[in-house]
Amino acid sequence: MNHDAWLAALTGELRRHGVGPDLTGHVVAEAATHLAESGEPPLAVFGPPQAYARAVADSLGGPDQRPPRRRPGPVRLGARGITKRYRGRTVLDRVDLTVRAGEIAAVVGANGAGKSTFLRICAGLVSPDAGTVQVDGALGYCPQDGGTAEFLDPDEHFVLVGAGRGLSRGAARRAGRTGAAALDWTPPAGTQARHLSGGTRQKLNLVLARLGEPDVLLLDEPYQGFDRGTYLDFWHEVWRWRDAGKAIVVVTHLLNQLDRVDLVLDLTAPGERAA
Amino acid sequence: MTKILVVAESALRELLRRRSVLVILLLLPLAFYLSRRGDHLGQSIRFVCLGLGWALSTAALFAGSAARGIEPRLRLSGYRSAHLVLGRLLALWTVGALLSAPYFVLVLVDQHDVRYGAIALIMALTVVVAAPFGLLLSAVLPRELEGTLVLLTVVGLQMVMDPADQATRALPFWFSREIGTYAIDHTDGGYLTRGLTQGITFAVVLTLLVAVAAAVRLRRRRHLRFA
Repeated sequence: MNHDAWLAALTGELRRHGVGPDLTGHVVAEAATHLAESGEPPLAVFGPPQAYARAVADSLGGPDQRPPRRRPGPVRLGARGITKRYRGRTVLDRVDLTVRAGEIAAVVGANGAGKSTFLRICAGLVSPDAGTVQVDGALGYCPQDGGTAEFLDPDEHFVLVGAGRGLSRGAARRAGRTGAAALDWTPPAGTQARHLSGGTRQKLNLVLARLGEPDVLLLDEPYQGFDRGTYLDFWHEVWRWRDAGKAIVVVTHLLNQLDRVDLVLDLTAPGERAA
Repeated sequence: MTKILVVAESALRELLRRRSVLVILLLLPLAFYLSRRGDHLGQSIRFVCLGLGWALSTAALFAGSAARGIEPRLRLSGYRSAHLVLGRLLALWTVGALLSAPYFVLVLVDQHDVRYGAIALIMALTVVVAAPFGLLLSAVLPRELEGTLVLLTVVGLQMVMDPADQATRALPFWFSREIGTYAIDHTDGGYLTRGLTQGITFAVVLTLLVAVAAAVRLRRRRHLRFA
């Protein structure tokens, strides 16, 4: 592993360990200076980038998991009285949710609680039996599965979805590749979606939802199949989007992330919750 | 227009990458042609046109079913349902034209004393009708197996029913038998007119029905309001 590759890997690992961008830049610059002056191989000096990044993060007392304080903006998504019944069973009963610009809302609940249905209603893909959804801005939606074309490669997906958003071919490809890089992924040219692994296909799904910088992002368990590193990258990206003023709704069943979001909508039925 | 062309380009790429399907599509009309070439040359022309219609309808059926997963996302990304329908039809019509060309050359080389212009017209109408027919089946019957069985039934009926029977006019490819009679048996222009009228009517109606089905399925739901 040469200097540049090692430093790039270290940058990614520091970010995954929750080290802020300023400190990351400082640590990487120091390491680069040391390597340039000593001329020694980085693995011999610092060891693997993962281990070195972990050591740096530990020395700082672990990653900072507190969401930065900020002032929420105007309401971007307002769901009122959403009710949905399937075959006589009420899945969603007068559910309300308000998400402002610069906020992350987590939708949680047991299997079958209606999390995905609620998100599909917010996206306008399914009609509720009662209730309304008001959206201020453009919508981006990442489904739990599907949402890609089997025989198209990632660049062709970027062009196809980008054209709908009014992006030129070049701009769509650039935006897609930038979004992919943030998830530590370089889309392979010519590899069709059907040949991508489940986790990589979800990365494509997520990048497509973000194309064109929509104001409201609806993400339905988008991290399925992600490895640990990508999972951390994903949350860092979500916080970055929030800080850029996006309103984000994430369906999740991983409760350990709830302290990092601004709102929690629990769709678990009251009886089940008490049990 | 850009959106329609991008959808058409993507759909065309998807179709052309299903290589084994393409080979079967290309060979299916040939099998139809050869099946009747020994006993009646003119009949083989009618059969090859039906084979083309069947092959392209099937391709459209599968293309329509495969697109169901990504179309809601495309709709949310700024496409109208008309962009998606027209783009996909454009791709299928292009594939149909490419598929028909070698069979027209085959007829030119292998058949004599027939009206070649009328045969080209049958092939063109077959392509124009088959694409929306397959897409409509995919819209109405979301599972491919059901759609394939309906296609099988329609083409089977088209082959075995007497073209003079009034009921056969309700079948989408009836025009190919009628114009075929004009082209092969050198009958009067009435056959051409009747066939042309039925073919154009089916093409227009099927295309409109596909557009309506897509508009309904991908409509913006009333509960969602944009500020």
